[in-house]
Amino acid sequence: MDLKIETRQVDGVTILGCRGRIVFGEESGSLRDAVTPLLSSTHQILLDLSGVNHVDSGGLATLVSLNSSARAAGAEMKLVGVGTRLHDVLQTTRLDRLFQVYDDEQQALAAFKEVNTKRSAS
Amino acid sequence: MQPNMAFQTITGQGSGASSGVFPTLVFVQGNEQRTIVLEHSPYTVGRKVDKDLVIADPRVSRDHAMIVSENGQFAVIDQGSKHGTYVNGERVERKVLEKNDRMEFGVREVVYIVFNPQHGTSNTARDFLSQISGIHISDETTDLEKLTLFLEAARKLNTTGVLDEILVTLLDTTLKLTRAERGYVFMKNDLGNLRLAAGRNSKGEGLLDDKTISHSILDDALKSNSEFVLTDTSQSLDLAGRQSIVAYDLRTVICIPLRKPQVQTTRGVDAPLTPGPAEAMGALYVDSRFASRDISSVSNDILRVIATEAASLIENARLVQAEEASRRYQQELAIAASIQQGLMAVTIPEVPFARMGGRNLSCKEIGGDFFDAVNTEDGLAVVLADVSGKGVSAALLASTLQGMIYSQLIARMPLPEIMTSVNNFFTHKHIGEKYATVIIARLRRDGELEYVNCGHVPPLLVCNNEVIRPSHGNLPVGLLSDAKYESDRANLHPGDRLVLVTDGVTEAENAHGDFFDNERLEIAAQKGNMENIFSAVADFCGGTPLNDDCTVVELTYTGNGDR
Repeated sequence: MDLKIETRQVDGVTILGCRGRIVFGEESGSLRDAVTPLLSSTHQILLDLSGVNHVDSGGLATLVSLNSSARAAGAEMKLVGVGTRLHDVLQTTRLDRLFQVYDDEQQALAAFKEVNTKRSAS
Repeated sequence: MQPNMAFQTITGQGSGASSGVFPTLVFVQGNEQRTIVLEHSPYTVGRKVDKDLVIADPRVSRDHAMIVSENGQFAVIDQGSKHGTYVNGERVERKVLEKNDRMEFGVREVVYIVFNPQHGTSNTARDFLSQISGIHISDETTDLEKLTLFLEAARKLNTTGVLDEILVTLLDTTLKLTRAERGYVFMKNDLGNLRLAAGRNSKGEGLLDDKTISHSILDDALKSNSEFVLTDTSQSLDLAGRQSIVAYDLRTVICIPLRKPQVQTTRGVDAPLTPGPAEAMGALYVDSRFASRDISSVSNDILRVIATEAASLIENARLVQAEEASRRYQQELAIAASIQQGLMAVTIPEVPFARMGGRNLSCKEIGGDFFDAVNTEDGLAVVLADVSGKGVSAALLASTLQGMIYSQLIARMPLPEIMTSVNNFFTHKHIGEKYATVIIARLRRDGELEYVNCGHVPPLLVCNNEVIRPSHGNLPVGLLSDAKYESDRANLHPGDRLVLVTDGVTEAENAHGDFFDNERLEIAAQKGNMENIFSAVADFCGGTPLNDDCTVVELTYTGNGDR
């Protein structure tokens, strides 16, 4: 099993640092198992993929599915640390429009804050 | 000449029925025909009344011939008879016998024997053992020798043994040797619980009910580290909690845990010679109610042998079964692969305005790539698809996808609608997180090309030696149920070429970990046709094997034909 996930909290955002591969099988399963329980308690999830060296079609499907689940639960999921290859795949498959991808953690956290401000203002 | 251990000299009559394990002799005299089982060696033939086969004819010598067993074969040896021994009409001194050999002794055409080897592959361990048990073995053979013989023979013959038959044989043998009244074999299932696997009584009847068994003794035996547990309840004072014993007055119980044969690990000079006890996979339980059946006098050696040999026997049978199951599964997989091959075989339609070619380079036997071609009044359509994942599940979906697209193209559905309905199917059926990238391109006679790209590697358009990558695209199918699909168009001129590839091509790796990528693909497509692309990939990868299927489809517009 080649995926390690470390969770931490920053400014009310749950950040999941992933190291290894996100592929069909146990790895995809463990990512799903890590994110799904959070959807009921937290509204802001950031997946840090900077330590991920490979995402296969199964891993991609899991990311899409988690994204949809998050939306359905009223939560927001963002991605950071997307490598070149994954970026290319997201472009080819037009999934770059589906995910909210940021260049670094700061930008992602700032975007979450903006949403919070908007929410409390309305 | 030493007789084989398996064929000891016997007293008493041999059995008349053919067992299929020992060779048989068919004795023919006039209208009379008899089958004789050749169950010992040497087998003597002659006129004297103490011969195994007595032929009362003056031309037969008193000690005429004998049939002997040597090294798994049988031979007939003439004993210096007056009128000779003949095999298939020829006089012999000594001849190794083959199937259907016809032996005559002194007289011709009157009496003869036909030799029939009949090897034991069609027989089970059970028949063999009941065959042996029918023989009255001489009193010098100890119980232990008998048991060893039975169990070794059962193991050797167990090349295609059915587990249940082995268990029943084991029970029958144990009952005979322990002189117990009834016996049961319990095996642990996947959850670690004991379940009744076989039950027999000393009359040979099957027993299905284990209610009167002392399960408490059974549990104790399994938990203990002993090879067997013997309880003589008539001596036992502590029967509290032993419900069956009290209720059914069980006198003597022997419980033998069956432990898997363990591989011995070397631990140095002081290590014990026998391996330590492993976890039990089941237990053999025999008991007796009647005091006259004194099974407590059974030799400990016998019980010990049963404990170790029985477990090996069962383990072997299980392994054989597992191997058979695996073999059957491999066969099913091979059939599935060949069906998929059939579906994948594309008949390239002949059209006057275009030329088409396609090739799939598989790195697996069964996979999720396919391409197809359909010609209708709307034009010549080519399809290239790649289902996520590998193996049987991807192949299943690929074939379903192929069927859906094919039938809708024939029905002349608009391309975006085809993709919408396919996406609908994939997202609404509960097939897990599976999706496919698809590209369909349809070329009309007038050169108009309509294409719908769903998450696939962008197509290449080679026009006047220039490579263009039409960038219009959609989401893959099967990911999001509310995805919308749109097509795009282009106009081709005679000589223009459309090239479609799967990502197995762009993601082909060489030894340095570099990818083939789009630049190299574009150069290869510009230089030549699809064979050129395959060669470029092969050269780039060098010795590194492909890790994904590569498919290339090429469509060249040759022109309206009217000009």
